[in-house]
Amino acid sequence: MLQFARFTFIRAFLSVLTLILVSFIVFTLMELVPGDCAERYLAFKNTQGSGISIADIEAERIRLGLDQPYLQRWGSWVINAFQGDFGESCILRVNISQLLGQKFWLSLGICLTSLIVAYAIAIPVGIISATSSNPYLNNGLRLVSYLGLALPNFLLALMIMLFSTVVFGESMTGLFSKEFRDADWSVDRVMDFLSHVWLPVFILSWSATAFAIQTVRALMSDEIGKLYVTAAAARGVSGRRLLMRYPARHALSPIINSLGFDLNRIFNELPIVALILTLTEAGSLLIEALARSNDQQLAGAIIFLLTASIVGINFVTDMILALTDPRVRRSIMG
Amino acid sequence: MTDTAQTEVRVDQKRKEAYFTASQNQLIWQRFKKNKSALIGAWVLVFLIMSGIFAPFLTPYDATIAGRDKDYLNGAPQIPQFCDDNGCSLRPFIYSYERTRSMKTNFRWVTEVKTDLESRRYLQYFTKGAQYTYLAFDINLPGRALDFRIPGFTFETRLFGVDSGMIHIFGTDSTGKDIYSRTLTAINTSLAVGTIGVFIAFVMALAIGGVAGYYGGWVDSALQMVTDTVRTIPSIPLFMALAAFIPDVWSAEARFFFISMVLGLIGWPTLARRIRTHLLTERNQEYVLAAQLCGASPGHVIRRHLLPSFTSYIIVDLVISFPYMVLSETALSFIGLGLKDPVNSLGVMLQNVTSVDVLLNYQWYFIPVIFFITLVLAFVFVGDGLRDAADPYSDAKK
Repeated sequence: MLQFARFTFIRAFLSVLTLILVSFIVFTLMELVPGDCAERYLAFKNTQGSGISIADIEAERIRLGLDQPYLQRWGSWVINAFQGDFGESCILRVNISQLLGQKFWLSLGICLTSLIVAYAIAIPVGIISATSSNPYLNNGLRLVSYLGLALPNFLLALMIMLFSTVVFGESMTGLFSKEFRDADWSVDRVMDFLSHVWLPVFILSWSATAFAIQTVRALMSDEIGKLYVTAAAARGVSGRRLLMRYPARHALSPIINSLGFDLNRIFNELPIVALILTLTEAGSLLIEALARSNDQQLAGAIIFLLTASIVGINFVTDMILALTDPRVRRSIMG
Repeated sequence: MTDTAQTEVRVDQKRKEAYFTASQNQLIWQRFKKNKSALIGAWVLVFLIMSGIFAPFLTPYDATIAGRDKDYLNGAPQIPQFCDDNGCSLRPFIYSYERTRSMKTNFRWVTEVKTDLESRRYLQYFTKGAQYTYLAFDINLPGRALDFRIPGFTFETRLFGVDSGMIHIFGTDSTGKDIYSRTLTAINTSLAVGTIGVFIAFVMALAIGGVAGYYGGWVDSALQMVTDTVRTIPSIPLFMALAAFIPDVWSAEARFFFISMVLGLIGWPTLARRIRTHLLTERNQEYVLAAQLCGASPGHVIRRHLLPSFTSYIIVDLVISFPYMVLSETALSFIGLGLKDPVNSLGVMLQNVTSVDVLLNYQWYFIPVIFFITLVLAFVFVGDGLRDAADPYSDAKK
């Protein structure tokens, strides 16, 4: 128990350290970008018709605290970020936590669901493909998973959308129907949400499944050849029981370990799919922040939140592994 | 012992001898040749790369606005044929067309294909087309006197053309540019972005992974921490954040180099990790100790002894990471943050298929998509085949 507590503590410490490092990288990149928040806001004001001068920009800089040294600003940004406060958006002048709020949780939910769907399909299929000796089944599965890699999600999303527009006359975009968009949560709204959300989940889990099948298959075929499996078979364990109790258990722990990076991959696809399906959640907000308004404050906050959830997932999977596998608990620093 | 048995033994011995004296690369090549799907992938890949490199020769027109056909906007593909109702011809031909707009067509431009014998256009081979140059560089050194131009080689022969008018075997886009010419040129651009990206990622991975793996200890721990952190940040959103701030005034070339550079700067951690793992296992080998005892410097040991020991693995890793570079470029160009329209890249071509109009009326815009999927699939197959071939235990498993 003490060992476990120590493990948890060290892992938590390392996670926080990673987050601080991430925040430094993100903050630096956002700083390196030409122009700052004050210029951007006043340039925006300029397009709205109110004239501005250099003095206005300077005043705005002082108001935003942009005249302070770099490290100091980073420090206050990090401290606020850990409290869930990302300051104000450069252009919209709204508190970012309020702006993101629900949208971020929705996106995270969609991504996690896709991840679960991907592994719910990949684990049985991967095990079957590793154990079966049927060449047609194997090659078929291989081709499908290669297609999952080569056919990018955005293309798939586009094709489905165009197809449905032509055939059903309905574009299947967005997360809510018009009448529920700004409504409060209710049973009807949840049902409406579910009837829309399956498409992004399907598209996001498409290539994730392809990746996962390959991983599961490789790990399983590694484990199946090992001596302990032969020994178990010699003792008379066979069939599904043999697979589930021996190699599958071993193959599973590297998979749990890499869940965080799988989530990373899904986050990569999210903004693009969101753009095509016009989902109004964090992914498309990121595109909005970047491609249209160049809002570095908002962009930094979103990237930080995405990374934080990956670090969080990594922490949780570490905990799960430590609970189930004593070897992991002992290798604290490993 | 009979003669046949003796020769069999001898053949067997020779085979073993060849096996044990073969260099690592020979072994990899032998195993690779056995993998049929990887071999097919390799041929397809070579074919695509070649058609990318020789795009100016293989295509009838310039892929830029200079090669546009202003009389055939959004035109359907023209497929050369040998026979029709008016009889056959040994030389393939296409039909002429005329664009009309009248009361009958509701005042929309409509293309009318003329199928009579007189308006056939015959295919010509090795025609003279617009000039293109290879290996031409403009050198811009500080000071006007130092600017000069390496002329390179100029050609004007194209593989095929027609005797009158123009031919578009994949159709044309909304500005009248030949989609076939654009596609082949796009392969070139996408491969170039990928190559630069992979190269930058490789150099960074080699430096960081090399230092971490060779020194080990706390240097390794610290570098691993940084590598893992970079790996945690989702790359495409980060990439979007960087790409979005490219000033609009940048030229197409500057954008191109910036995009490839950022791709490389984000893509290094996976490669660095693998190089580090290779080095960690290799550096405790006796030959490294021997070199160190002889007084070799760390740089010398890494360069002369450790790197050659896993060059083949690095090549495999590079091939595997290539399609992801191409995919990232495509994804970025697709959302409009990467390369933009006058430049021909696969991502730009894919971006053009995004409207419903295209699906309903101009389906030939999808032809580059097929090329794109084939290219990525070929890379994945070759990469997988190479990985299997480079794994010394892959034979034992079978």
